[in-house]
Order: sequence, then C-alpha cells, then structure tokens
Amino acid sequence: MWEPQELGAMRSHLSDFKKHRAARIDHYVVEVNKLIIRLEKLTAFDRTNTESAKIRAIEKSVVPWVNDQDVPFCPDCGNKFSIRNRRHHCRLCGSIMCKKCMELISLPLANKLTSASKDSLSTHTSPSQSPNSVHGSRRGSISSVSSVSSVLDEKDDDRIRCCTHCKDTLLKREQQIDEKEHTPDIVKLYEKLRLCMEKVDQKAPEYIKMAASLNAGETTYSLEHASDLRVEVQKVYELIDALSKKILTLDLKQDPPPHPNTLRLQRMIRYSATLFVQEKLLGLMSLPTKEQFEELKKKRKQEIERKRILERQAALESQRRLEERRSDLASRATNGEVVPPRRGPAPLRKAEGWLPLSEGQRQSEDPDPLLQQIHNITSFIRQAKAADRTDEVLMLQENLRQLQDEYDQQQTEKAIELSRRQAEEEDLQREQLQVLREREWEREQGQAASLHTRTRSLDFREIRPFQLEPGREPRTHLAHALDLGSSPAQSSTATKTSPPSLAPEPFRGWSGSPALGQEFLPQSTPSQRSEAPSLNPFDEEEDLASPSAEGTASPPAPEPSLGPPARLLREYNPFEEEEEEEAVAGNPFARPDSPAPNPFDEEDEPPPRTPASLPVPGNPFEEAPCTNPFEEDSDGGQEGAEPIEEELLLQQIDNIKAYIFDAKQCGRLDEVEVLTENLRELKRTLAKQKGGSD
Amino acid sequence: MNVVFAVKQYISKMIEDSGPGMKVLLMDKETTGIVSMVYTQSEILQKEVYLFERIDSQNREIMKHLKAICFLRPTKENVDYLIQELRRPKYSIYFIYFSNVISKSDVKSLAEADEQEVVAEVQEFYGDYIAVNPHLFSLNILGCCQGRNWDPVQLSRTTQGLTALLLSLKKCPMIRYQLSSEAAKRLAECVKQVITKEYELFEFRRTEVPPLLLILDRCDDAITPLLNQWTYQAMVHELLGINNNRIDLSRVPGISKDLREVVLSAENDEFYANNMHLNFAEIGSNIKNLMEDFQKKKPKEQQKLESIADMKAFVENYPQFKKMSGTVSKHVTVVGELSRLVSERNLLEVSEVEQELACQNDHSSALQNVKRLLQNPRVTEFDAARLVMLYALHYERHSSNSLPGLMMDLRNKGVSEKYRKLVSAVIEYGGKRVRGSDLFSPKDAVAITKQFLKGLKGVENVYTQHQPFLHETLDHLIKGKLKENLYPYLGPSTLRDSCFSSQILLVLHMSKLDLNSSIKPKVLFLLEYRNRCFGALQILVSCP
Repeated sequence: MWEPQELGAMRSHLSDFKKHRAARIDHYVVEVNKLIIRLEKLTAFDRTNTESAKIRAIEKSVVPWVNDQDVPFCPDCGNKFSIRNRRHHCRLCGSIMCKKCMELISLPLANKLTSASKDSLSTHTSPSQSPNSVHGSRRGSISSVSSVSSVLDEKDDDRIRCCTHCKDTLLKREQQIDEKEHTPDIVKLYEKLRLCMEKVDQKAPEYIKMAASLNAGETTYSLEHASDLRVEVQKVYELIDALSKKILTLDLKQDPPPHPNTLRLQRMIRYSATLFVQEKLLGLMSLPTKEQFEELKKKRKQEIERKRILERQAALESQRRLEERRSDLASRATNGEVVPPRRGPAPLRKAEGWLPLSEGQRQSEDPDPLLQQIHNITSFIRQAKAADRTDEVLMLQENLRQLQDEYDQQQTEKAIELSRRQAEEEDLQREQLQVLREREWEREQGQAASLHTRTRSLDFREIRPFQLEPGREPRTHLAHALDLGSSPAQSSTATKTSPPSLAPEPFRGWSGSPALGQEFLPQSTPSQRSEAPSLNPFDEEEDLASPSAEGTASPPAPEPSLGPPARLLREYNPFEEEEEEEAVAGNPFARPDSPAPNPFDEEDEPPPRTPASLPVPGNPFEEAPCTNPFEEDSDGGQEGAEPIEEELLLQQIDNIKAYIFDAKQCGRLDEVEVLTENLRELKRTLAKQKGGSD
Repeated sequence: MNVVFAVKQYISKMIEDSGPGMKVLLMDKETTGIVSMVYTQSEILQKEVYLFERIDSQNREIMKHLKAICFLRPTKENVDYLIQELRRPKYSIYFIYFSNVISKSDVKSLAEADEQEVVAEVQEFYGDYIAVNPHLFSLNILGCCQGRNWDPVQLSRTTQGLTALLLSLKKCPMIRYQLSSEAAKRLAECVKQVITKEYELFEFRRTEVPPLLLILDRCDDAITPLLNQWTYQAMVHELLGINNNRIDLSRVPGISKDLREVVLSAENDEFYANNMHLNFAEIGSNIKNLMEDFQKKKPKEQQKLESIADMKAFVENYPQFKKMSGTVSKHVTVVGELSRLVSERNLLEVSEVEQELACQNDHSSALQNVKRLLQNPRVTEFDAARLVMLYALHYERHSSNSLPGLMMDLRNKGVSEKYRKLVSAVIEYGGKRVRGSDLFSPKDAVAITKQFLKGLKGVENVYTQHQPFLHETLDHLIKGKLKENLYPYLGPSTLRDSCFSSQILLVLHMSKLDLNSSIKPKVLFLLEYRNRCFGALQILVSCP
C-alpha cells in the first residue's frame, strides 16, 4: 500500500556541541591530569625507608613551593601564621595553608587514583566511556582525614599533604572511578536476563524449525535432539522468570524503601520479561510423540508417493496419447513409427538429462552416488551438531533436503524412462495384445464381479495407462483383485528386512485413502510378477486359476506372522516395476504401530490371526478408554511410550499454570476457574497414568 | 507518505542508536503525545525502554545505570530544563534529539552545561507533529486564530509542524494557497520562509514533478463540519471524543472497570482498521460476525476437555482467544454506546434534516423541518444550534429568511447563550461574503448537469448525500484544472497547471469554528474520500 519510505531528514549538532564543550572542559581535565601526574611522582618512591630531608627534596622537585614570606595569612581561613600556627605546603600545587585547612591523602587512595588514571587518561574526552558525576555517595576518603595523628610529626610515612582544592578535585575523580567500577545489583541481574533472552532468540527459531519439520514427518532432525532442545529452551524460560522475579523484589524490604521510580523500573522489567516469555513460549509448538512421529513419517511418505504417482501417470498419459497419435499415423503411413517417442513426454521431465542410461545400470551394482552423498551429509550434520556449529548445520540440512528432492526426482525419472523404453519395445505387439487382454479381462471380470465391484470400477478407469505393460498388467491386476494369500512367506520376510527409514527406494503405489483401503486386497508379491518377464496373457490364466479359486473360496488364513504386513493394502499401481521388490521391503505400513491411516477392514481382521506382530490391545477399534488414539498405542507398547506421554502431560501442566498466572494477574476469575479445572484434570490423568505404569 | 511510519522510524532510530542496556525516555508534554501515537508500551518495552519521564518532573531519582534518550521540542523551557539536567546528570549518558530546528546558541549553552561529558548525541529528528493516521496529522492546537488573523504563537507552531512534516517525509514542495483566506496566505509564506532559510535541509532528490503543498481555509466550506457523519471513525470522534487514540467511556452508564478508557488505534486493532471507514449499519453487521466468530472459538465452560488433544488445542488457542475477547468486548461496548447516543439524541432524524439543509434548495420544507425538530425535546441544544447554523449559512440571502424566528425558537428551547452566539459567528466566518466560491448553487454547466442527474437518480442514502466541497477542489486539482486565480502559487513557479503532481500535501486550515469540538472528525471524514477516489495522498492538518 505504501511506497517504501526512507528515514526522514535529520541533522546532527554533535560536532558543534563537542567543540563548545571541549573548550569549556579542557582546563578541568588538564588540572586533574596534572594533579594525578604529580601524585604519581610523590608516591613513586619508598616513603618509609627514605629520610625526611630527602623526601622533602623530592617533594619540592615535583612542584615549586610558594615562598613562606609571600603568605602571611592562611588563604582559606584567614588566620595569621605564627610560631604556633605554622605554614604547611600542599605537595600537589605548592600553595600554603594552615594546619586546620590541611588535608591528607593516604597512600592507598593515591595508588587507586594513579593506577585508574593510567588506563582512563587516554579516553578522557570520550563521554561514553567515562561517565562521571559529583553526586554519588562520598565514601572512603573521609577516614583518612580522621586518622590524622601526631600533629607535630613532620614526616608523613603513608600520607601526602595537600590543600582542600586539590583534595576536592581528587575526590571527584575517585567518585568517577568508583561509579565506573560499581555495578548495582539490578544491572548484574539485568545483564543475566538479557543474556537469557538472547539465548532464547537464538535457540527458539532453531527449535521451531525442528519441530515444524518433525511435525511434517520429515526425518531431517532427530526427535531426541529436538526434545532435548525443547527442554533446554524451557529451562532458559524458567531462568528468565526467576531472574525477572528477583529484579522485581530487589531491595523491596530495604529501609528506607527505594524511590518509586526504582520500583517502577523493576516492575517494568518484570512486565517486559513476562511479555517476552508469553510471546515466545506460546510460539513453541509441541513435538510429536514417538508414535505420532512414526505416523507422520508414514504420512509424508505417502504424500510423496502420491505425488510421484501422479507425475508418472501424467507422463504415461501423454506417452499414451503420443502413441495413439503414432498408431494413427502408422495406419496412414508406415514410417510414422519413426517418430521418436521421447519427444512427447519430454516437457514433463523436470530435470532433463539427469539420468543417463549407464547410471541406471551402474546403480544396480553399487549404491547410487546420490545416496552415498546423502549418507555423507547426514554424518556431517551429526558432526557439526556435536561441534555446535549451528549455521553449518543449517547449511548442511538445506543441502540434504535438496539432495533428497533430487533423489526422489531421479527415481521418478528412472521409472518414466524405463516404462518408456518398454513401451517402445512392445509397441508393435500392442494392438494384438490389447485385443487379447480385453477378452481375458472380461472373463476375469465375470469371476470377481460379485466380490469386487468397486475395485473393478476403479481399475477399469485405469486400464488405459496399463497398455504400457501389457504382458504384466492383467496378471498383476488379477493378483490384486483376487490373490489374497499369495506367497505369505515372501512378504513377511520382506517386511523384516529393513526399517523404512533406511530403505533407499521410495515406495510406489501406496494409497492412504481409507475409502479405498477397505476394499483392497493384499498385494501380490512382486517376485511373482517378475518371474514372468515376458508375460503372456494365456500363461497367466493358468497361473491365476488356483489363487483365484483359493481367494474366493476361502478367506485367507495364513500363518500368524504374515498378518499385518500382508494385509497392509496397497492401491494397485499400474506402473510398478522391478523396483517394487525393494519398495515392499521398505513398506512403512509393515510396522505394527500404525493404526490411524490404515483402517484395517473389519472382515479381514480376525484378531487370532495377528497375535505375533500386532498385540490385541493395540487395536483402536476394540478398546477405546480414551479418545486419543496414541494413548492406546502406548498401552500396546508400554515401555517405550510411557515417558513421552508423561512429558507431554507435564508440558501441558506447565503451560496451563502459566495461563492461570496470567489470568490471575489480569483479574479474569472465570478464566482462572476453567483453567484450574483443566489443570486438575491433567494432574489426575498424570496420576492415573503413573499408577497404571507402576 | 505515511506519517505514522515516518515518526515511528525516528523513534526507532533513537532507541537503536543508544545501544543495549536499560533506558529511560525523557520527553516533554508534547513529545509524550507524539511518541504515544506511534508506539505502544509493550512495543517500546521490548526495546529496553523501561521508564518514561517528563523533563519537567522534579521527582526524578538518580539512576546512573540508565541511559537517557531525550526527545524534546526545541523550546526555551526545554533547553533550560536540559541545562539543569546536564549540570547534575541523573543518568549515565544522554542522547539528545530535538523535534525541530534548534538554534546554534542553544546548542552552545547546552554544551557549556555538560561539564561531566555525559552527552553522546545531539540531533534534530523532525517528528514534530502528532501522527493520527497514516495520512493524517494534527498539532492539537485549540483555537489558532484571533478574529480572522493568526495568533502569532500558533502560527509559528503550525509553521514548525508543517516544515517538520515536510522534512520527515523528505519533500520540498511547491506551495499553493487559497486566495480568499488571508490566514492561508500567511501560513504559506511562513513555510516558504523556513524552506528558504534552511535550504540545506530541504535538499532532497528532485522528482520530475515536485510535490505540492496546498493550503486551504475551512471558511470556504463551513457546512461539512456541521453535519453528523456516519462512519465508525467519525462517529467515535464526534460522539465519544477521542484523544491520542484513547476514548474516555467513563460516562457510559453501567460501564465495567476495564473499559473506562479504551484505546482505538488502527495500527494495532485489525477490526478497527478494517471498519473505521464503513458506515454505521455495516459496522453493526460486522460486529455481529465478530461476535459469532468469537462464540465459536470460545471454549465452552461446561465442556470438559477430556483428552490431551483437546487440552492441547485449548492451550494453543487460548492466547488468541484472550486477545479476541478483549477486542470483542471493546468494540461491542463502543458500538453499543454509539447506538445508544444515536437514539437518545434522535440523531437519525436530525441528520436527515441536516442533509436536506446542505443539499437541497427547498426553503419552506427545510424551515418547517428545522422548526419541528427544535420542538423535539430529545434534540440536544448543541444539535439544535447546528441545525440553525446550517439554515443560516444556506439561506443567508434568501428573500424569506426567517433566522430571527429560529433564534427565538432556540432561546425558547433553552439553548444557552454560548451556542446561540455561534450562529452569528458562523455567518461571519463562513458566510457568503467570505466564501471564495459558491457552496450551494453550482455555476458551470457541468456541475449543473451533474446535480440534475443526481436529482433524477434519487438518493441512495439520505444520511450521506452531502459531498464535501473539498471533493470538488481536489478533483480539479488532480485533473490540473484548479484555477490559479483562486488558488495561486506562492512565488514564481516554472511548472504550471498542465502537470499533475502525484504527491499532494493538503493542508486544511481551520479556525474559529473550532470552538466546538465536533470539527475534528469532519477532517477525518474527508480522508475516506481519499481512499475511494485518489491514489494521491493528502495530509490534513487540523488545528482544532
């Protein structure tokens, strides 16, 4: 709305000001410096071990003494000098005064002044570095005056005589030094407070980034690290709270009570600290529990998966269209087939030229260089974290993310590439196959119609894209539709092989949609599919006969171990390839503790079949003592989950306490009540939980 | 050209430049107002400014651990206070900022007082006006004229305010003024003088078309300030009164303690920012939506928060809820009070007659309506006097003018002398003799056609028929058709009407009518017009 606006005009008078001030102040500074230099000379030698005459000689050399005859009266009090009222010389300026008007400077004071001036002399003209004042408390030097002892003793072992003027100037100087060195309690506390705030400003964004990433199901950060950081930040908050409270009550019981402005300052600091905590603490999002995190991870994978499928579908769609066009051409002119198929889908490829064929081949032998790189960077991050170099960590994490994206993309590309090549090879056979397949498809439909109407209608829609893998398509399709208990042993072993986070291959073909899931049947194992590389629809038919009969006649009753993984349903993916073998291995849903997005369909899940991998109490549909699905999970795997649950509770309790405090301060009693009720509720839950776990 | 932002930038710069550590802001009476309009307390607390002190306050303690930021107007008293302060410094170090040009001799006497070398900065930051809205500033001057001439003190303050405005926005404008007003001419000359004298300060990057400062006098259109307005902001100003964004609600019957005084600032209140220029009926429905929204978010007291997820949601929504509850109760109270006043003072009926007086030329019907309302006991004496003023202005030279009769009615109604005097004062201030142009009967053919067409179409809203005269003036200005014989340039100008300046500073000078408090909102009202019609920005100075 507004055009960018620069800071308005301004004009500085500082140089003018300094010029005038310097003229005025120079003589004062010169005076002080002169006195200090003389004082230094007077204290430079060992007074106690030097005889009086020698001391006097030195003193006279520092400053010329005024002639006795010139001063008949004391210039300060006006008394006449006589034998009894003797003259005394100021050792610093050489002037004369009577004994009553004489002042003394003790050696410690002199040392203090000279040593302090050594480092501040150079900075004298800069006001910001030497704040000074005459209005501080006058302390310290009075005692040296009262300690005047032997009147007649001419020798001053440990003090230096001077006039009142010089003494005044030096006292002022001393005050300046004192003020510079003295820091009141409030300043010390305040500095600590600011340090804490800075720490929060630095740590909180880091934490928020972690929590956001974790809550999105990314695996860039570790959950433990994040919760450690959270605890750390919370501790700093507690410290801020404590410090500001201390400032608030500082000197409160002192007598006389502090100035109202001091109190106001303390209140304001406390208030601003409260504001700070409120604003920042409430911005700290909570972390997922371990279970939730697993859940989130899976969701994210699905999300990525779905995106990839869509991309691939789009690519294949355009490929198909191109081929249709080509076959049209072919019917008209035979050399129409020369049209390179690659051109069609090209615009869909995001990183053209990324994937040379050779690399794809090499990859099958040794691990993908990208994967290696990802591993490397992960370990770098760990090291950098250990070394506490946050900025580097950030950079690396950014790097890692990019790599992962790149990798995902690469996989997609590869898939597209593969299918395209296949499509080319099979191009010629396609038309015949199409006819055959359709015939076969109809038959199949007849068999399964009663049970799987919905699946069918879905698949029917997808039939077009399948053209690319004509040999395979009907087989897998059928398997999908009918083959309930196919090769249980394989799938169960596959699930055991690797946890999802390590599986390098992205998973394809997963559908998280519960509506579909209900009707889905167990996937066929890919090995089955791949064992027939050049599939002939007629071969397949034979194959199919037994499983389909099995599937329709008797609902699957495999060994227990197969239970969940086999039942973890996958939407049929028309574009699956060999890679799928790995995909199955890494299937996140093979994990037993993932209830939410995978609605086990009722008919398929008789509890007795699943004792080994999924404990009965973990079934969210059976027992629901509490609405939180994650609590049930923790019931299932008590050991691991309990502490986190407790932590969460404690966190909530803390938060609510903060609100109560706040509400009380603002006098909103009704809110306090509601909050207190909540607090009680929470505490009860906590107690219950503790009791339960014991 | 955002004046709020301009001042805020100055203040932020001061605080930044003083570095870390506890700070005290030392101000005078006026700069306190200036700062409080652009910064909220919690905002400024976050910048480590914990104390706010007046330079003239005697009860200040020595606090050597604080840094002092002094933001002061360069007046004689302030300089004296500052000299005393520097002789016996209460804080460790001083950063001194004057809100306007300070003389060299003052700088010298300050420097000589600083024996302890506690001053680290002496600067001029031109935040010498109160930024009410992004495009409105005020100098909070009450009664700036004596008769038809400037009060010299106020003239110099207004000049200072205007030049500070130009400097803070970095504009060096051409100046035009309203020929019919002597006061406008004086002000224009004074501003020009300062620009000439401080030419070094006014050396900004030249734009192709220099900005324009147009100084107008309210006497050309005394009608607009006399009408009741129906936008949220204008009503708040008019009916409740608002001072430095604070509304005093203590007179509202049955008001709760927290709501005695509420702050209404478009900077921090989204609802207000979105609704300040909407009319009253729209506000009503928006408030209803706000309430419904609030009800939805409000945690139900009976509903137990059973699961941790529920609780978590509650806790996470709680601060938002709290903030919202504050906003809701504030606006409900304010709008409730407005609507109470509207019905108590019979304002709808009054406003209808006002609009008739301002926009139509049917004398007998107008007179009848005014007479009828004067009999109505619910019409306040102030509203009654305003109706008569409107009548007097419009039908000043009408053949069957019956002003004396209306004055009698006023007296019979018990309207006090103070208000009755205003009627003749208005005529003197904004009567036909004074006006440079004709308010009521358009002269040129285009305007006549326009009015005719308007009559045919009928009126959309009887309460908002009147268009301020300023509308027309600005329209001409934007189109480059503003007549130079009515609004001459000050001094020779190389650029003439043909070029259109996108940067327009408009100064509305108002004077004697400011006896009554209701004029301020009228100035605000004009801003709405800006939002609808122009990309250009005007800044109005009101001196009520």
